[in-house]
Parts: sequence; C-alpha cells; structure tokens
Amino acid sequence: MDIIKTGNLKKSYMLGKVEVKALNGVDVSIQKGEFVAIMGPSGCGKSTFLNMVGMLDIPTSGEIYVEGNDVTGMSSNKRAEYRLRHIGFIFQFFNLFNELTAIENIMFPMMLNRMPNYRKNAQELLNLVGLGDRIHHLPSELSGGQQQRVTIARSLANSPKILLADEPTGNLDTKSSKEIIELFRKLNLERGQTIVMVTHSQEIGEKADRIIHFRDGIIEK
Amino acid sequence: MHLDDIRSALFYSKKDIFKNKKIFLFITAAIIFATANIIIINGFMDGMIRDLADNTVESSLGHLNIYPDQEERFIEGLGIKEEELNALKDVEAYSPRVSASGVLSFKELSASANILALDPDKERGVTKLLDKLDSGTAINSNDGNAILVSYRLAEDLKLDTGDEVTLAFENGNMKEYMIKGIIRTGSQEFDSSTVVMALNEARRHLDIENRASSILVKLSDKEIAGDYKPILMQNLGIKNVKTWKEELEYLMSFTEAYKSFSSIISAVGLIAASISVGIIVYVNVIHKKRQIGIMKALGAKDSFIFTVFIMEALLFGLIGVPAGDIVGYLAIKHMEANPFYDAIMMTWISARFGNYLLYNATAVSFAATLLAGIYPAIKASRIDIIKAIWGG
Repeated sequence: MDIIKTGNLKKSYMLGKVEVKALNGVDVSIQKGEFVAIMGPSGCGKSTFLNMVGMLDIPTSGEIYVEGNDVTGMSSNKRAEYRLRHIGFIFQFFNLFNELTAIENIMFPMMLNRMPNYRKNAQELLNLVGLGDRIHHLPSELSGGQQQRVTIARSLANSPKILLADEPTGNLDTKSSKEIIELFRKLNLERGQTIVMVTHSQEIGEKADRIIHFRDGIIEK
Repeated sequence: MHLDDIRSALFYSKKDIFKNKKIFLFITAAIIFATANIIIINGFMDGMIRDLADNTVESSLGHLNIYPDQEERFIEGLGIKEEELNALKDVEAYSPRVSASGVLSFKELSASANILALDPDKERGVTKLLDKLDSGTAINSNDGNAILVSYRLAEDLKLDTGDEVTLAFENGNMKEYMIKGIIRTGSQEFDSSTVVMALNEARRHLDIENRASSILVKLSDKEIAGDYKPILMQNLGIKNVKTWKEELEYLMSFTEAYKSFSSIISAVGLIAASISVGIIVYVNVIHKKRQIGIMKALGAKDSFIFTVFIMEALLFGLIGVPAGDIVGYLAIKHMEANPFYDAIMMTWISARFGNYLLYNATAVSFAATLLAGIYPAIKASRIDIIKAIWGG
C-alpha cells in the first residue's frame, strides 16, 4: 500500500527576478513500512521534496497523497494537525529546545497532541533510543549523537506513520552516524516504521531498502 | 483554544523566561516599581487633595456660604435670616462674618489689613479658625480691646502677643487694641494680612448693624450641601450661595493639574516597564526563530505560538503586578501613618489608601504588560517554517 504518493509535483521559488524550479514534476510512490533514502547533489530538490511530503511547504502544482488522502489543499491549521499526528521530523542540526531537558523535549509534542501519560511515554522513548539515564540532561549537556537520538525519540512521540529525516547524520561523526542508522533500521524492522531519509552519503543511503536519486528537480531514471 | 493547549504553552513559556534569571528579575523589578508608582502617586495625590480640602473647609468655609447679592456689599436683615437658619432642620450651626479694611500700626510700622469680624461662639460651631493659633489665646464675644492678627502680618509689623497696636477702620475711626493671639491657617490669602475681632466690637465702629458680609453655614453632613443649597436659597430668599465644593474649585483645578502631571510620570514609568517586557519577548522571538520553526514543524499551530509568547508577557505581569501592588500598598500605608507637614500649604498631608488604587494599578499595569507582548507574539506566530528552519 502506498503511504506516500506524489503526482507531477512541482515547486518554484523566485530568487530575485529569477524563477528557480526546485521540483519539476516528481512522481514518487513509497510503500508503508519502507525505508527509503533520497540522494542527489546539492540543490537537486531533495529537501524541498521532504518539505512538501512533510507538509511544511505548499507545492506550486501537483498532488500529494498520504495514505490515499489528498493533502495538497489542506489549510495551515489542518496541515499542522496532520504533522502533529502523522509525521515525525528529524533535522540535521538536531534542533532540540535548549531550555528543555531531554525528557521535556520529547514530552512537548505529546503535550501538543493532548496525550495522557506523556511523561511515562517519553521515558519509554528515551529508553528505546538508549538514553534512559539522560532524561534530565539539557541538550547542551549531551553529545551530538545523543542529541540526535533525543530528536529521533521526539519524532516518534506521537507514533507517526511517516518519519522524515533530512540529513540526520550530516553533523555526526562516523560512529554516531552508524548508531543512528542502526536505530532507524531497528525502528523500521521492529515497529514497521516508514522512514524517508535525505542523505548525501552513499554508504548511509545503501542502508535503506531503496534509494531514489534526484537531479535538477526530477527523479533520475 | 483548548485548556490543554494553554497548559502546554505555559509549560514552554515558563521554561523560556526563567532560563535567564537575572533578566527575569530586572524586568519583573521594573514592573513592580511601575505598578507601585501608580499606587503611591495616586494615593498621595488623593490624600493631599482631601487634606487640603478638609483644611480649607475647616478653617475658613461653611458647608454652604451665603454672600450678598451681586453689586451689594452686605447681606441685609441678618436677624431675620438667623431666625430662618435656626428653624432649618439640617442646619447645625452658622456664623455671620463682616469683612472690612483698615490699617494696623505698631510703633513706627504700619500695614493695611483685612478686618474679619465674627462672633467667636458661633464661629466655633462652624469652623476651627479660632483654634489655629501660633501663640496666645482666642478672642471671645465680649472682647472689646483684643484682636487676633495673622502670622504674616505679625511678622511684617514685628508684633507679639500682648503688644498694643492701633487699628484705623476704613471709615476713619481708630482704636488701640491688645494682640491676644497670632493666627495661622495655611491659607495664603488669610495669613498675609488679616485682623480678627469680635463682631460686637466691630459693630461699635462700623455701620454693620443687622448686616453681614457672609454667613457660613454648617450642615449635618457636608455631602448634602449640593442638595440643600436650593432649600436654603428658597427659605432665606437669597440668591448668592456657594457650596464648599464650589468654593474649592480653584483648589480642585490646581490639584487636578498636579494629578495630570503625576499621571504622566506614572505612565512614563509604566510605558518604560512594558517596553522592557516587549523587548525581552521580542528578542526571544528573534533568537528563537529556528525553534519556533521546529515547533511549527512538530505540529504547533500559529495560535499556539502566539499563546506561548503572550504567556511570556503575562508571566512577567502575573509576578510583577501583584508584587508591585504589595510594595505600593505598604508604601501608601506607611505614608498614611506618617503624614508630613507641607510648609507651603501650612497643613499636614498624608497619603490615602483605597482599594480602587489596587484595582486601577493592577488593571493598567497588567494591560500594559499584555499589550507589550502582543506584537512579538504576532510576529512569532507569523514566522515562516521553511525560512525559520533553513534560514531561507
């Protein structure tokens, strides 16, 4: 079953007076439970594609279906609700809330989703990512790899259908990168988590089930 | 907005503003003093106005004051009017007064004087003028050879109690009197050049039989003066009556000007405090663009982001305003218990506390703090996710 399907997806930006076509007609299908890597050179439209699928940005034209539902024309509030309940994000620069502890960072999206027992659930997610002994640490007291693991735990807070990761290992050393990818694989195998990951690294990309290559805003055949 | 969302917003706001405790304390202190300032200034001004009004009424006015008709110098038929006054239920006391002019001389010095003739027994029923003595004792109704002089006149003529002076009346009559007391009321006009003498004695030298320049009337309650004025006018057949409030119009307009000035000072303090709150919240928004973007990416709606930052401003107010109320309350209570002497107005002045001071200061300060947070909160809620996260 397609969990993500895009049809002739296009996105253009104006850079001064010049129109930049970030996506120029992308047709992609991603199956439920699939671990997909998106690769390509800088500026090829990988992150733009992720932003569209994650409903952070609106396409210029084309369709996006998530679990068969057309989400292209959703209002800003509906898109926020959809992101909250169905999509987990992991960014390259960790992007944790500096004033919140590890457990509070994970609790926050649960609180947004009005979830009961959020402290207990957050603790379980920290255990899952191997940071059960760091719950009261601030991000500044954690290593880069640990911060990214907290980000992954946060992305899982509301049991999302899709996990979107934009260069999740781009700011980590080799050892931490390996640990993060192993964690992704574990989540994919044990929980059936659909993961769409943007990466520059061939080695990291090869860990996924499938690689989609982008070039100049289209999928490279 | 759902209560859980407000709780979540509060959760983040608290963490955010308490993160830098020094800045939090500085901003809160600014709100505390701005709020306390409103209470102190208004409480002090209200107390001053009340004390000045009370002092003026006590020393030189009745609750109602009867004057001659326009272009007349005297109220005629004093005896009949006194009978009418005695018959009125709410008239507690009255005091007829006669004003005249003269020249007071002592040794080689002399000065023009305003002569105020009154019946001491009746005057005591209406005002405390005869109690306001710097030295000596008050005159009585039968004092034919004694007068009181105001302290500035005594200073000008170098007079002391017991001195013998010559008073020349406006009609040319002259007589020697002993200074029985020196009087000080706090009213500049009165204190500068007034001679007070018994009405019976003045009648011997001036053509004022059955006449008065004014009649001061004391009612059972000074607050009924406005309602009672037409009754008095009708019963006595007189046209020129002023209530104590009308007499104090000049004082009220003077103090209102002072109050406006003080309000401007309070407002400046409050604006400075609220701008501080606004700047801190705004700086937070600017520094947290990426985090706001992440919040939105996680699923926070614009209304939630707005609530987070308006909560930050509210938290400053929630802590600063009640603390300012307490500081203002304690300061006003202290000033109420420890009045000070105003050497210009010659009267004791104390602040005055009323619950309305707390209500007003709380409402105004809280509103100012809230308003200060609105712009940064709107700016935060409108931040574009893509630009915030990727800096595009």
